[in-house]
Amino acid sequence: MDPSVMQNPEMANFINQEQQRAMINEMVGKLTSACWDKCITSAPGSKFSSSESACLSNCARRYLDMSMIIMKRFQNMQ
Amino acid sequence: MDFSSPSSGSSSSSQFNPETFKSQLQNQLAQAYAEEFLETLRTKCFDKCITKPGSSLSGGESSCVSRCMDRYVEATGIISKALFSATQH
Repeated sequence: MDPSVMQNPEMANFINQEQQRAMINEMVGKLTSACWDKCITSAPGSKFSSSESACLSNCARRYLDMSMIIMKRFQNMQ
Repeated sequence: MDFSSPSSGSSSSSQFNPETFKSQLQNQLAQAYAEEFLETLRTKCFDKCITKPGSSLSGGESSCVSRCMDRYVEATGIISKALFSATQH
């Protein structure tokens, strides 16, 4: 494969999109795994209880909140 | 990942074809994502459902695994939605 083909803006855009998709996919995967462990404490039922689904949703949001705190505090450490 | 050009179709099969590359890449990515998801399902549902391995899988364990898979897919949707609605504001 000729490396110069990656300079083509259309190809670069495509690669960039796939990278974004991969990063999002990884984030969703990691978070779902962590939040599942935190929120689904008993054997899975035929549907989520309202507290289980609220926990999952909250889990994702609180993770983002925490991420912000870490970023800000880390910047202050520099 | 394998990016070799297809054996059929193009007359200049040794030349790089962007469209072929793009679709092959997307196919292989989709496959990799699916395999990763499957591995996660196996881990999570084994943890939750096969707590005391016996000499065979019981009916209870099997139905637990089915429910587990459905719930995990649902959980993935809930997390995605929460992440995307959060990033909208």
